[in-house]
Amino acid sequence: MFLTDEEKRILDGEKGEIAQRCMQFLVAYGEAAGAERLVDLDGTVDMHPGPSWVPEYDVKPQEVAELARKGERFKVPTFSDKATAPSFVMDGWEHCGVLPSSDPEFHRKCLENLKPYMDMGMVPTFSCDHYLVSTYWPSVGQHCAWVESSAIPWVNAILGARSNFDGCFQTAYLGKVPAYDMHITENRAATVLVSCEAELKTDMDYDLFGWVVGEMLGLKVPAFVGIGRPTTTQLVKMNSALNTAGQVRMYHIPGLTPEAPTLEAAFQGKKPAETVSITRQDLRRVYEMMNYGSSDDVDFVYLGCPHYNIEEIRKVADLIEGKKCKVRLWVMTNHPTYKIADLAGYREKIEEAGGLLLSGTCPGLLMGKVMPPSDYPDVVAMDATKQDYYITGHCHPHKVQVRYGTTEDCVNAAITGKWQGEWR
Amino acid sequence: MNNVDNKIILRGRKVIGGVARGEALVSKKPLMGWGNVDSKNGYTVERGHPLYEVPYKGKVLVFTEPRGSGGFVGYGRSRFFGTHPAAFLYRKGNNLTVFAAMVMNVPTMTDFDRDPTEVIETGDYVIVNADEGIVEVIKNPRNQQ
Repeated sequence: MFLTDEEKRILDGEKGEIAQRCMQFLVAYGEAAGAERLVDLDGTVDMHPGPSWVPEYDVKPQEVAELARKGERFKVPTFSDKATAPSFVMDGWEHCGVLPSSDPEFHRKCLENLKPYMDMGMVPTFSCDHYLVSTYWPSVGQHCAWVESSAIPWVNAILGARSNFDGCFQTAYLGKVPAYDMHITENRAATVLVSCEAELKTDMDYDLFGWVVGEMLGLKVPAFVGIGRPTTTQLVKMNSALNTAGQVRMYHIPGLTPEAPTLEAAFQGKKPAETVSITRQDLRRVYEMMNYGSSDDVDFVYLGCPHYNIEEIRKVADLIEGKKCKVRLWVMTNHPTYKIADLAGYREKIEEAGGLLLSGTCPGLLMGKVMPPSDYPDVVAMDATKQDYYITGHCHPHKVQVRYGTTEDCVNAAITGKWQGEWR
Repeated sequence: MNNVDNKIILRGRKVIGGVARGEALVSKKPLMGWGNVDSKNGYTVERGHPLYEVPYKGKVLVFTEPRGSGGFVGYGRSRFFGTHPAAFLYRKGNNLTVFAAMVMNVPTMTDFDRDPTEVIETGDYVIVNADEGIVEVIKNPRNQQ
């Protein structure tokens, strides 16, 4: 891989041992990925604070603290994805009933470990959808290093900035990433024309559509026609599913996304290599697959994958106001949205009904251990294909059943303890 | 496709160098990490997956593509439990497979001249020379009937 003189000097240790180790990581990563060079970031970084991708090159929290004390800062605006410290819950931890999350000393210690990253400039959004609350976005064409399934299509497709799934301490500290895959213009062209013949109406429809396309296309880049004008909630759900069922990290919606003013522009002037159409029957097939299990006796309801936005929380607060939950209900969001939901009174409405508003984690990160004292739930209700499809793995070898449906179906299950959702 | 001595040669790009050999374990369905890989036991726990709970320890793990979250690196983390494959071969990858391969640190190749999941079948004997960009496949007679 080609390195500039400055990059070679960092690799030779001229900027210190930590910078050298970070450069060694970027070079090893770039060579393994087949990149020809590094590119300077001019956009943003989204990183999981904590251990990095490859332990061999890890920079320990004490080393990060030392850098921060010396006045070193991340090279570009850097935001926090969920903290990967096991069991860390940012808000609502006092009531969550799960240990060690609800232990004050544990919580204090987690925040203490996160402080060095914040001292270097990491903004504590603590979220899988930091992009909804970061107050700062990269511009079209800027090079970024993000992480997270739903976030990667957001940065590439929705914002038109350029990122692979490689946000981490090293990329934020050096402000560089290997220039390959999504950083290269021609790799961003659509090759598959996806014509949606199913009328997408509900938020769930977009979640299912994303799964169908992701599973069908894998690493390919599609252009969508016939998907209407999705809302923010619908885009986030669709992106999450696209990049979970497959690796659709870039797509185009002609007339809507920045790199596709026209259908021709989406394909960068070339002809589609493939054309596929998606029908309501395809969505139904995934709906049935997501309803993994037959018991209607739900014991845990989880909402907030990806972390709920304020509109979704408001909807739940409205649905549940004046009712009482029969089973455990968690509504998960990010730290800034938690604060707004608190101010707006939504948190109080959810908690008065016996549910919990939390921030900064998810059942997946908690490894499915959400039901003390038995740890694992038996029948979970969810409105997100991503968490649905992972939770059985996270609880393995405990057998968990999953019921999947709309947000309304899930809230109803929390109130009645029964799953009553069905395909409509 | 087979020549007289039942050997097939595939050419591809080195991701992680080295030489390894072993019996192939092939997945025509993408692999998914995070909760759906059990690094400790060295197998996938994705529901309904053809390789559900099939150990890949010591095998030449051949698959189509990665999918899902950055937790795909869980395949690499098998290294910490000694349950990792002998080699890692895939049709097409991205940063997910690269990070997993770096942590796993076994001979890894991709971008082949032919789809490895079409040429190689579970049970074939495979010699991977990632340094030279060559994979030699010796067909299991059982796979030729």
